[in-house]
Amino acid sequence: MASHLLALIVFSTLVSVVFAILLRENGKDRLRFALMTFGAFVLSAVVVGWLMYPFPN
Amino acid sequence: MDRERAIVDERRAGAAIPACLLALLVPGAGHLYLGRITKGLAFLGAIGALFVLGVLMDAGLQMHLGFDDPLAFLRSLAQMALGVPYFLARALGFEAGKVTSVTYEYGNTFTEVGGLLNILVVLDAYDVAVGRKR
Repeated sequence: MASHLLALIVFSTLVSVVFAILLRENGKDRLRFALMTFGAFVLSAVVVGWLMYPFPN
Repeated sequence: MDRERAIVDERRAGAAIPACLLALLVPGAGHLYLGRITKGLAFLGAIGALFVLGVLMDAGLQMHLGFDDPLAFLRSLAQMALGVPYFLARALGFEAGKVTSVTYEYGNTFTEVGGLLNILVVLDAYDVAVGRKR
């Protein structure tokens, strides 16, 4: 898995699933929580990546 | 009524220790033991996938004990929290990883986070066993 984006998406998906099952009780809440957590992971990583763009070293 | 509740509480407390031990040995096994099949399989699948992918991404699984390098020690503890899969992978020769691999650090992160999540799963198994959670 040499693609950074793919690694990020796979990692975010798996961690979001575990968090959702741990922290929410029913299916609908779990799905919503997992989607929000996944979105937060991916979005924050992309934003931090862009913030670091001017400082490559 | 109080007596019935005491008997139920005693049974639950009795199930908590084996559930936690099983959960620490294999991710999700504690929930499977407690009859929470879907939850247990989901934990096994997700945390198992994190670990397997981490190993495939050339993660280092060295056991670092001692405080000369505290971060490496904590990292080792996190990986060890995966239980049997960690020790099995080491026994099968995946211990060293590949430092020069482009995905080495990703692999480390996947395996370490898998172990840390498993600690939360152990605590959840305890809560389920004593009746705090479903």
